[in-house]
Amino acid sequence: MADYDDKKIGAADLLAVFWRSLLIQASWSFERMQSLGFAYAVEPALRKLYPDRAEYEARLRLHQEYFNTQPYLASFILGAVVRLEQDRASGRNTAADVSGLKAALMSPLGALGDSFFWGALKPLAAVTATALLMTGSSWAPLLFLFLYNVWHLGIRASALFLGYANSGDAVDLLARYRFTKMAKLFKVISLSVLGGMLGMLPAWRQEFRPAMNVGDLFLALSGLAITLVLTGIARKGGSPVKIMLGLAACCLALAYAGVI
Amino acid sequence: MPIFDSPMLLAVLGTAVVCGLIGLDRTAAGQFMLSQPIVAGPLTGWMLGDPTAGIVIGAVLELIWVVDMPVGTFVPANSTISAVCATAIAALGSEGAASLAVIGFSLLLTTGMVPVTMAADTVVRKWNARLAFTAAAVTRESSGRTLAKAHLLGLAVFFLKSFALCLLFLPAGIAAVALFGQMPETFHRAMSFFVKLLPLLGAALIVRRLSMKSVDAFLIIGFILAAVAGAVFHAPALIILVLTVTGGWLGARYGGLRR
Repeated sequence: MADYDDKKIGAADLLAVFWRSLLIQASWSFERMQSLGFAYAVEPALRKLYPDRAEYEARLRLHQEYFNTQPYLASFILGAVVRLEQDRASGRNTAADVSGLKAALMSPLGALGDSFFWGALKPLAAVTATALLMTGSSWAPLLFLFLYNVWHLGIRASALFLGYANSGDAVDLLARYRFTKMAKLFKVISLSVLGGMLGMLPAWRQEFRPAMNVGDLFLALSGLAITLVLTGIARKGGSPVKIMLGLAACCLALAYAGVI
Repeated sequence: MPIFDSPMLLAVLGTAVVCGLIGLDRTAAGQFMLSQPIVAGPLTGWMLGDPTAGIVIGAVLELIWVVDMPVGTFVPANSTISAVCATAIAALGSEGAASLAVIGFSLLLTTGMVPVTMAADTVVRKWNARLAFTAAAVTRESSGRTLAKAHLLGLAVFFLKSFALCLLFLPAGIAAVALFGQMPETFHRAMSFFVKLLPLLGAALIVRRLSMKSVDAFLIIGFILAAVAGAVFHAPALIILVLTVTGGWLGARYGGLRR
């Protein structure tokens, strides 16, 4: 049996990496993206694994190579890299291709994370909380933070430990979280809640509700119709800024015409 | 004309510091979504004594910018600076009781600021490349402490960007609100109506991003559920919301997510 110089990475070391991973984008740049942030996050583990100064600095330099992924799922790659570095430092796997693993995982996890967190979870939390805020629930911003961060922090922390435990087996990560299916589900629910928000237009706070002397149903239908027209305009390529400026101009014209 | 006396200057400075700190959450630190308009707007409004302005501005800007995603090298509009500045301009320009027209005008002003904030974000991200090169050069003969210093300097750069933009926009915006007060009533009516249209624009932008169809079936299901529950059964908003979530979930489950 081979005699390995086992260097243990404990939960405290992983928590130190996790804590630093919250700042992975502190020096984000177009040229190097998260390269410095990745090296900064993994540094506590390298310090423990490589007592030899020259080797430690060589590994630290290696981790300053180009890196970019979705910041939350970066923790999975960090966990996997800590595991590979541990195996390398202890002599179990001196040929571990740490750079290859990072390069292989960062793009797919980036696309997956962007689609799930930015494209599905954030809109769902935002639409739900905004619908409540517009109907008078002042605590809705807290609900937004809760809905978002339960998922965000839960996945971010567990992905680090999972990456460490399975040495970066992305299939295990995907089987556990089913990001694509969840993203589709969240998008569908977001649209349903958004429709509900428009259906609740007669119950909106007075600051948002048009002062029209019509029935509640007609008011809600008018809101839906205007939304669909604006969706059509937006689909033709109008940027939010341009459409907002156009709306302001329309409002001025309507006010001058005496319609509003 | 508002007087830029000591309390006003202190409020402007305090708002800029808060904007700088909340702005860190946007990219550089944590990304807990404290920087989102729905949080940043009400927080600024509460801080400056006009929670209503914060709620209105936060809700509207959240809907408009929520699907503007920071993917790859794309720099999205800085909705944090927009929310903090619009709320502060409305609150400080009206001494804590902004009318709907002033809120609308403040929103319009910060819409004009969006290209400037995006340009500033781009400059910071270009400048940050120097930090990586500095760290790479130094660690050849030094330790990870130098790397940490170079990396964390990025936080200061991101903070200063939001802080400086806020200091630049706020006095100009507050002066503009004072001028707006002297404009004809027509402008005020137009801005009040503008605010009421913005949530609908936000909803439209979300539909555009989340659905391939202009008239999405799930949007209509949610609308019908809410309209019926509200108009016929007078159900409270929270119950209606639960209904629409359940409706969406059931639709996705039994519709087989064929999208």
